[in-house]
Amino acid sequence: MKSLKAIMAFVMVLGVFLLAACGQEKTSTSKEESSSKGSDEKITLNLWHFDPGKREEVYFKAIERFEKEHPNVTVKPLLIPNDKYKQRLVVAMAGKNAPDVFASWGGGYLQEFADSDKLVDLTDKDIDYSRFVDVALENSKFGDKVYGLPLGISTYQFYYNKEIFEKNGIEVPKTYNELLESIDVLKKAGLYPIALANQPQWPGAFYLMYLADRIGGEDVFKSAYNREGGSFADSTYVKAGEMIQDLVDREAFNPGFNGLPYDAGAARQMIYTGKAAMMLMTSGFVNNVRDEFPEFEKKMGVFQFPALEDGKGDSTNISAGISPVWSISKSSKQQELSVELINELTSVETGTAYADMSGTPVAIKGVEPKDEYVKTFTEWINAANSIQFPYDQTLAPELAQLHKETTFKLFGKTMTPKEAAEAMEKKAAELEKK
Amino acid sequence: MKAAAEVNSMNLLDINTVKRKEKSKQKLVILSFMFMALFVYTLFILYPIISTFIYSFYDWNGIETNRAFVGFANYSELFSDPTFWQSLTNNFYLVGVSVFVQIPLGLMMALVLNSNIKGQKLLNVIFFLPYLMSTVAVGLLWVFMFDPTNGPINKTLNSFGIESVTWLAGSPSALIAILIVMAWQFAPFYMILFKAALVGIPEELYEAAGMDGANDIQKFFYVTLPSLIPILISSSVLAIVGSLKTFDLFYVMSGSGAGTSTAILGTFMYEETFVNFRMGYGSTIAAMMFIIALICVVIIQVIDSIQKRKRGLS
Repeated sequence: MKSLKAIMAFVMVLGVFLLAACGQEKTSTSKEESSSKGSDEKITLNLWHFDPGKREEVYFKAIERFEKEHPNVTVKPLLIPNDKYKQRLVVAMAGKNAPDVFASWGGGYLQEFADSDKLVDLTDKDIDYSRFVDVALENSKFGDKVYGLPLGISTYQFYYNKEIFEKNGIEVPKTYNELLESIDVLKKAGLYPIALANQPQWPGAFYLMYLADRIGGEDVFKSAYNREGGSFADSTYVKAGEMIQDLVDREAFNPGFNGLPYDAGAARQMIYTGKAAMMLMTSGFVNNVRDEFPEFEKKMGVFQFPALEDGKGDSTNISAGISPVWSISKSSKQQELSVELINELTSVETGTAYADMSGTPVAIKGVEPKDEYVKTFTEWINAANSIQFPYDQTLAPELAQLHKETTFKLFGKTMTPKEAAEAMEKKAAELEKK
Repeated sequence: MKAAAEVNSMNLLDINTVKRKEKSKQKLVILSFMFMALFVYTLFILYPIISTFIYSFYDWNGIETNRAFVGFANYSELFSDPTFWQSLTNNFYLVGVSVFVQIPLGLMMALVLNSNIKGQKLLNVIFFLPYLMSTVAVGLLWVFMFDPTNGPINKTLNSFGIESVTWLAGSPSALIAILIVMAWQFAPFYMILFKAALVGIPEELYEAAGMDGANDIQKFFYVTLPSLIPILISSSVLAIVGSLKTFDLFYVMSGSGAGTSTAILGTFMYEETFVNFRMGYGSTIAAMMFIIALICVVIIQVIDSIQKRKRGLS
């Protein structure tokens, strides 16, 4: 029996080494095959994205147009839901099964791939860069090199229930003090002034981002992020944290907000049923309303995050996230074709369809939105003195995670504003050294 | 006579070598049957475990082709990381609940089903249902149950005059809420194990105990429970390993927020690996989870064998 065990062990160990060897060999050989262009050879391009519903339909249409121009090419789109997307992409990019074209949010997440030399540098490819809104392109530009083409710009603003506002004699708040006053009035009327589902941590982070922008202006973040003398422990961030906790103390939000997942819909339900009056949310909410509770659209209004009377920030400043950003992985054997594909995915035609069907403005010039909300959002973007991209997409992943965590704890009052700001600065300094 | 004996021993030797040959042939046959299984086992179990340990010695973001060997640096960082200790503590609460709530609950349900209670079949289905549902669905369902404003649980509390609890938002309450769901979902699994074991206890033992004048409680403690010890031990092993590895329910019900009060090793590992791009550090967490689970299982097995020796079973 003993020798049987020994043989078994030997086989298993051998197997492990064989597998390990296989894995390494693959990485070294397959690079040599290069692109074959213009032939009749059947070619398949893989495309990964994370947008279901209307947005996916827009991509399908763009793919159809692309395939008509290239009859020998088939594009295989794959939709992976948000949560799993990051995980699948990391694993795929590490191996040899990376998709040719994939969507992301740009920022620090995409930069990880760029720094690891996994992306095609798009700077000198056959792309007409003049069609993009400049700021939006910044989100996928690292060290003067472009690694992704933006399509949508999702702005963050307050949605409110016009009926409730009218009933309680509230005007749309222009200043932060007016917002606080309306919160008190709504509270007295037995409503939840603001709906918040903060379990995923990003909805709450919007408040910190906007408040910091209104208190100290856009340069506070920029100089802290670029490590140009700025600091995440700046008094602006401490003040923003205090103001968040002030909102919590005023009971501006529904109870138990830190335990509510956003996607499951509890916060949206409160808005639809008139239990809550306002919500700070992305442009995507317009889409949610049309899908989930179209009757609400009649009552729905939007307003920008109010100005702060004694703040340094420009009140036209807006926060917005760029998504999707289309990039090409370096392991793709069809890089030229992939460039043409992402050109189609960010064409004026695709942009127009995206703006009209998804309720979200686009990063492409020359698109005339028909949708009323998109028109408003686009006006805000055009009038904005600066656009702040969400911290959790801009910062390096580790710092982004800490930012969400500390803000979550500010809302839960398990951390003081000072502690949160200092923890951020400590991590930022630590990462800078690396 | 002498000659005959010699022939005999020659024959014996011969038989021995033949036997040995046959044995080695047998081994080959056994191996050839096992090869596929061994191959699959190597590919899907051994290889990942070993690569996890290898990755744990590297500083690697998971996508780069070059990775830097850092020796035990990841391990020393892990041991000084407060999130690790908090996650580990939470995992041990989880182990506690699994062993001391889920298993007794499962045993109780099995006993109920084993008695001649009315509506036994219906109860069987009702008890077993939670285990049949997918964990993501269970998680979402309970998120609605625990809803702070409209949730049935808070509504029930209110009707008894108790104030609403913000279950999933509070610091100990979120963990407690998830542990309740955990027990609810997995107790039926142990119920099935115990049910099968209860059927296997011979009726004669109960009859004999009855003749000796044992009442029902004594029968339980002196007949049923001792007969169930092997199952109790294997259930404990399953419960401990399962609760150290768990991930999905916590991920659905509380998000992946490490450093928050509901962080466990599974979510901590996920976050470091796939959100923070630290494959090396994530692998270190995975390796520690493996080692901790292994230690726990070894301890249980040792206790088990000591117990058996004491009772003279081996």
